[in-house]
Amino acid sequence: MVSDSSLNHRLTLLFLVLVCLVFCRNLTSIGAAPICTNAQTGCQALSLANLFDRVIQHSARMHGISNDLHSEFEQYFLPSKNQIGRVSRNCHTSTILTPNGKENAQRMAREELTEVILKLLMAWRDPLWRFHQGMAHNHDFNNFSSNKALEMSDMVHELRKGVEKVADKMQMLGIISNSVSSQVSPEALLPSDSAEWHLMRDYDLLYCFRRDSNKVQNYLKILKCRIVPEHGC
Amino acid sequence: CKLVLSAAVKRRVLLTLPMMWLSLGWCVFFVLFWGLFVFSDDSLEPHFTECISRDQETFRCWWSPGSFHNLSSPGALKVFYLRKVSPVSEWKECPEYIHSKRECFFDVNYTSVWVPYCIQLRGQNNITFDDACFTVENIVRPDPPVSLNWTLLNISPSGLSYDVMVNWEPPPTADVEAGWMRIVYEIQYRERNSTYWEALEVQPHTQKTIYGLHIGKEYEVHIRSRMQAFSKFGEFSDPIFIHVTELYSEETTFPLTFILVFGTLGILILLMLILIFQQQRFMMILLPPVPAPKIKGIDAELLKKGKLDELNLILSGGIGGLHTYAPDFYPDEPWVEFIEVDPEDSAAGEKEDHQGSDTQRLLGLPPPVSLNHHLNIGCSSTISFPDDDSGRASCYGPDVPNQDTLILMAALLPGQAEEEEATLDEVERAPSPEGGESHFVQSQTAGSHTWVNTDFYAQVSNVMPSGGVVLSPGQQLRIQESTLSAEKEMQRKGKEIGACEETGEKKQKGLQFQLLVVDPEGGSYTTESTARQISAAPNSPTPSEGYQTIPPQPADAKPAATAEDNQSPYILPDSPQAPFFAPVGDYTVVQEVDSQHSLLLNPPPNLSPHPCMPQQPLKALPATPVAYVTPDLLGNLSP
Repeated sequence: MVSDSSLNHRLTLLFLVLVCLVFCRNLTSIGAAPICTNAQTGCQALSLANLFDRVIQHSARMHGISNDLHSEFEQYFLPSKNQIGRVSRNCHTSTILTPNGKENAQRMAREELTEVILKLLMAWRDPLWRFHQGMAHNHDFNNFSSNKALEMSDMVHELRKGVEKVADKMQMLGIISNSVSSQVSPEALLPSDSAEWHLMRDYDLLYCFRRDSNKVQNYLKILKCRIVPEHGC
Repeated sequence: CKLVLSAAVKRRVLLTLPMMWLSLGWCVFFVLFWGLFVFSDDSLEPHFTECISRDQETFRCWWSPGSFHNLSSPGALKVFYLRKVSPVSEWKECPEYIHSKRECFFDVNYTSVWVPYCIQLRGQNNITFDDACFTVENIVRPDPPVSLNWTLLNISPSGLSYDVMVNWEPPPTADVEAGWMRIVYEIQYRERNSTYWEALEVQPHTQKTIYGLHIGKEYEVHIRSRMQAFSKFGEFSDPIFIHVTELYSEETTFPLTFILVFGTLGILILLMLILIFQQQRFMMILLPPVPAPKIKGIDAELLKKGKLDELNLILSGGIGGLHTYAPDFYPDEPWVEFIEVDPEDSAAGEKEDHQGSDTQRLLGLPPPVSLNHHLNIGCSSTISFPDDDSGRASCYGPDVPNQDTLILMAALLPGQAEEEEATLDEVERAPSPEGGESHFVQSQTAGSHTWVNTDFYAQVSNVMPSGGVVLSPGQQLRIQESTLSAEKEMQRKGKEIGACEETGEKKQKGLQFQLLVVDPEGGSYTTESTARQISAAPNSPTPSEGYQTIPPQPADAKPAATAEDNQSPYILPDSPQAPFFAPVGDYTVVQEVDSQHSLLLNPPPNLSPHPCMPQQPLKALPATPVAYVTPDLLGNLSP
């Protein structure tokens, strides 16, 4: 009897050890070797194509969320055919020079394009955060919209980091020459005042963000298909 | 009067009121309807119907003159656009008119994405009939995909439904390769005669699997596309038709398995039937019967149960049996000798021991009646030596006539049934023993050979190369008796025998009376003459010697009749030689096995000492066996 129990104990222990080895190896591999663009020691490097795919997927999702939010906002504000008034309102990112067509985007240098992307993403970090804050406090909107707003702001943040990694990888590979700087222009900051203004601003903000997220997605796709046109182009 | 007048008026008024109301209603209705019609016609101003971009690089806008038919002529209405690329922007006229379609086309140079556009439809005198603002990315409706085709993936095992893979190419106008447009597709299918389209999930890949289509029905499939994360779909593609008939449902997988199953079952049943009906044959093949001992004419059961008398009857041929056996034994071997047995004698006295009579017959002596009795008595009482062998059973049990024994012995010789028969025949054909020496004996042998007196059981001394069995002499008493008869015979024959020696030898011979097998060829046999020589030379009998193997010696030409025939396998018991034959029992107990692998047997009990028997000890070893001599002992014995 004693031998049986001891045998069982040993077997379970052995099983646990094996399981631990299998999984701990995975964990250690993940922990000890995080994904990084450069193949440094203890780093698990991803290919540029893989990085691009990840970033493009991210931007597509971000754009989708912004589109949903914008459609949701339109329920509150009846869209009139005459939208000149709204059109005249500038987005804070209008100062950033962005290519407005395919040829322009293709003619643009890779470094410039990357820089544009980063600038755009940088410009939207604070406004989105404020937008989320405003939504959370405003009880007109449901939690679903609020969560989406939060997700959107987080995504912008993550996407910016991702694009920065891509830029670093490209620099390492020698695709782009010098480092890209993403500096926020002071015009990007929006004034904040009354509630109605807030609401109107939110709608415009969403409108602007939807446009900019589409820009980012497009630019990233063009970059990818220009640099690493393996698959998905 | 007034009152009367007022009543009449009232009545009239009352009567006409509904008419009035009705007409009023009609009038209003008519006016309204007409007015609406007029209004609708009038209110339908020239307007933009749609603005669409197919590739996000160009876009088109269409307008309609509405109810203003006078404005439907080309040039009556103008389109102006405003592109808000800079804070200062101005309205410009449409860069390209296509009046046939009432379309304004903006090519690549005039198209900017993510830039707000405003267009206006103006008539004469700058009357703005309609305006709209948009951005190009929001009005993109991609073209439908091209090159639709389908492939059959698989058919369900039941043969009722199948899966299909539909492939297509992205629209050529959309620059998907550069990544400028990210298109997602929606596939829709329906049955040919149905009105409801089944829509599948939107996905960006250029292939899609449709599951669960039914065989025999025709399906219609078309695809449309839109930009990712936008909501405006393009037009549907040209439909393709999917139709799978029931060709495959009758494929032979199902009947094939059917046939295989039934075929195997049939084969199994057939095998079973064969096994059942041919069981015995199979049993013969698989388990062949063990051959039982078979003697022609003899029931094997007799041998089993020990019914010897019946067996003897059969063998003797008394009751329709094997009367054809013994004489045919060895037709080609003249030295084979069989004792003739008179069938009448045997029938007369079954229970008596006919040993003596046989011998008499053989030797040509008259049958000693007393002998018979004596023998009979002797058989029962004068057995002096210890009888520790089972071979004595014949004395206690029912006596078997010698003839029968002989025949049995002859019959039991191995191998040759025909020879057995021949032998028996010869035995039977032997003349009466009264006639002295049987000519059979004479013809057979050169000398006087005697058949060994055998009991029902006899010891096999040796096996001849031809297959015959050579037997040892019988009991002691019988040996004595035969010795007497042999003496007489010897006297009769008048051989040169020394007085005392010869008699002694005779006696010895008779006493010993073993069969000395002499082989003219082999080393264990010798001729009679040789044996004579042997016996004569040493002149010192070794009573304890039972058998001897004497090496062959050159056959000297002796006057004895035996010299002629060198192939006599027997040593005559009446010849002066072989004094050294010791009496031997039918069966003796093996004492031990010598180091030279010779059996040491119990010596037989002491015989009555012969007067002339020299009391010389054995020249050979004191431990010499009685009934067997080893080759080295033989060397001592030989002269």
